[in-house]
Amino acid sequence: MADADRTADRTATPLGALLETAGTPRKDSSTCDFGMLLSAKDLAKTYGEGEAATRALRGVTFDLCNGEFASIIGQSGSGKSTLLNLLGLLDTPTEGTALYHGIDSATISKPARAILRNELIGFVFQFHYLLPEFSVYENVAMPALIAGKLATEEIRSRAEETLGMLGLDGMSGKNANALSGGQKQRVAIARALMNRPAILLADEPTGNLDTTNTNLVYDLFREISRETQTAFLIVTHDRSIAERTDRILEITDGELVTDVRNSYGVAQGL
Amino acid sequence: MLPLRISWRFLRSSPGQSALIAGGIAVGIATQIFVGSIIISLQANLLDTTIGSAPQVTIQAIKESDPVRFTPKMQALVNSDPRVKPGTVVPVRSVPALFSNGTDSATLGLIGGNLEELDGIYKISAKTLEGEASLGNGEIMVGKEFAQKYDVRVGDSIALALTGGQSGNFTVTGIFDLGSGQFNGRQAFVSGKVPQNVLGWANDEYQAINTQLIQPYDSKDVASSWSSRLPGVSVVEWQGQNASLLAGLVAQSASSYMIQGFVLVAVALGIASTLAIAAVQKTRQIGILKAMGMGDKPAGRIFLFQAAILGVAGSTLGVLLSFAILALFSLSPAPFTISMEPTFVAISAGIGIGVALLSSIIPIRATSKLDPIEVIQNG
Repeated sequence: MADADRTADRTATPLGALLETAGTPRKDSSTCDFGMLLSAKDLAKTYGEGEAATRALRGVTFDLCNGEFASIIGQSGSGKSTLLNLLGLLDTPTEGTALYHGIDSATISKPARAILRNELIGFVFQFHYLLPEFSVYENVAMPALIAGKLATEEIRSRAEETLGMLGLDGMSGKNANALSGGQKQRVAIARALMNRPAILLADEPTGNLDTTNTNLVYDLFREISRETQTAFLIVTHDRSIAERTDRILEITDGELVTDVRNSYGVAQGL
Repeated sequence: MLPLRISWRFLRSSPGQSALIAGGIAVGIATQIFVGSIIISLQANLLDTTIGSAPQVTIQAIKESDPVRFTPKMQALVNSDPRVKPGTVVPVRSVPALFSNGTDSATLGLIGGNLEELDGIYKISAKTLEGEASLGNGEIMVGKEFAQKYDVRVGDSIALALTGGQSGNFTVTGIFDLGSGQFNGRQAFVSGKVPQNVLGWANDEYQAINTQLIQPYDSKDVASSWSSRLPGVSVVEWQGQNASLLAGLVAQSASSYMIQGFVLVAVALGIASTLAIAAVQKTRQIGILKAMGMGDKPAGRIFLFQAAILGVAGSTLGVLLSFAILALFSLSPAPFTISMEPTFVAISAGIGIGVALLSSIIPIRATSKLDPIEVIQNG
C-alpha cells in the first residue's frame, strides 16, 4: 500500500485528527524518498532513583523514513529493547521524545498514544503474545476491532488477505494454541500488519524460531516492506540478521554508537 | 462491542471458574429471596391471624357506654376513603350476656349485625366449621372453644340472660373458628336487632364502626385524618392497641434485613475476590490488548461486562433456585404458606446484578492502571 493511500485510509479517524493537529510533517527529500516517519530526539530512560538508578538509554537521536528497512543491533542489556519500547510508545522516556509524522508523543494524552499504537505502529515480539482464547482470525483482526472503524466484511477480507500474504491460508478458524511455533509467530506478524501500520517494530522476532523459520520471517519482512512501503525497525543481537537490513543502528551501553547504511538490499536486488 | 465480546470469550475460556462465580451469586440471591420471602410470608401470616379477622380502625363514642351515630357525613367519609378495603365497613352493636347450661355458666359477648356486613371483617361464613352461617331472628353462631367447653352443638337451643333483666333462647346455627381461642370462647354473633333492642338505641346508633384497610400499616394515618374530621368521636387503630406485636414485627423485619444484608456482603466479597483473581489471570491478555492500542476505558469495560454477565446469569439461576427451594419447603408440613412476591423477587435479582457490578470496581481499576510494558517486559 502506498503512503498516500495509507494516509487517505486514515482520514476521518482519531489518528487523522492527531495528524492535523501536528501540522505538516517534516520532509527531508535529500534522505527520504517517501517522507519522514519517525524522529527520535535525545531519548533517555533511567530506571530507579538515586544510587540505584540505572541509565538504560542515554540520549538516542535518529530519524527513520517511511518504508525504511532498518535494524537495531547491540549486546544483551545494551538498551535496544528499551529503545524499541519507547519508540513503540509502550514506555515513556525519562528525557527526550519520539515524533511520528510530526506528532510529539511526549505531549499527547494517554488515549492519543493508544490510537498511535493502534493505527501507526505494529509490534512483533520474541514471544508471539497471541490471545489463547481467540481463533487465528480473531487474533489477526483484533487491532482492527480495537480501532472499530472497518465494517465486519472489510475486516474479514483484510485479515484473510494478510494471512494469505504470510502463507497461512485456511488457518483462520483454528485456535491460536493449535499452531506450531513458526505459525504462531507468522500470525503475530499478520496481526501487526492488520491495520496497515506505517512502521513495524520487531524485538528479536525470530528468537524462538529455527533457521528455516527465521529465514522465512525475514524474507517475509522484506517482501512486505517492498510491497506495502511499511517501515521496519528490527531489534536483534545477531549481526548476520542485522546485515540483511538496509540500515544498521548499533547501541552500546545505551548510546547510539553507529548508524550505517547497508547495501544488502541493493546487492540482493530488493 | 469488542469489550463485551472479549469478556464473553474470557468467561467461556474458564467455564469452571465462571460457573463457580455464577453459582455463588445464585446461592446468595436464592438465600436472599428465600429468607426474605419467609419473613414477608410469616409477617403476613401473623398479621392475618392477628388482625386479618379483626377491625383495624374503629370509630366509637368517647365514652365507651355511649353509642356513636353513623351519620351520613361519617358514612361518606369512611366509604369514600380509598385506603379502606371495599366491603369492610361494619357498624356493630354488642352486649354482654350470661350463658348457663344448668351446671356451668359463662359470660358471652354478643356481637350483633348483618351477616353480610360482618363477613367483611370477621369472614364468619368462610370460617364456619359446622352448621351454616345464618343470623336470623333467634339465631346465634358460637365459637369452636365455647362449643367444645360447654358441649354445644349445631341445632341446640341455648338460654342467655341479657342486661336489664331480659333473657332469650337462641338456636345455634353454626360453629365458627376465627383463629383466636380467646375470641372463639368469649364472643358470639347474633342478629343486629338483639343488642339494639337490649340497648334501646336508634337505627343509626352503634357501639362501633369497624373497618379494615387495604394496607394495615396505614392505620395510624387513617385514624389521624378521620379524628381531625370527625369531632366528638374516638378513632382507635390496631397499631396503637398492639404495641408489643408491632415491636415484634419490627424486630423480625430488622433481623431479616440484617441477614439479607450479610448474605449480600458475602456475595459481594466472593464476586469481588474471584473477579480480582480473574483480572490477575488475564493480566497478560489485557497487556497485549493495550499494547495493540486498546484504551483504559474499553479494557476496564471487559470486567464490567464480565460482572454484568455473571450477575444476570447468577441472579437468574438464584431466582430459579429459590423456586426450587420453595417447592421443596412446601413438601414439608408448614404452619403457614410461603409466597414469593414478584416485586421482591425482581428487586432481589436486581440487587444481585448491582452487587456484581459494584464488585467489578477493583478489577476495573487494576485493569485501567495496567501498563502494557509490564506485560511485555515480564513476558
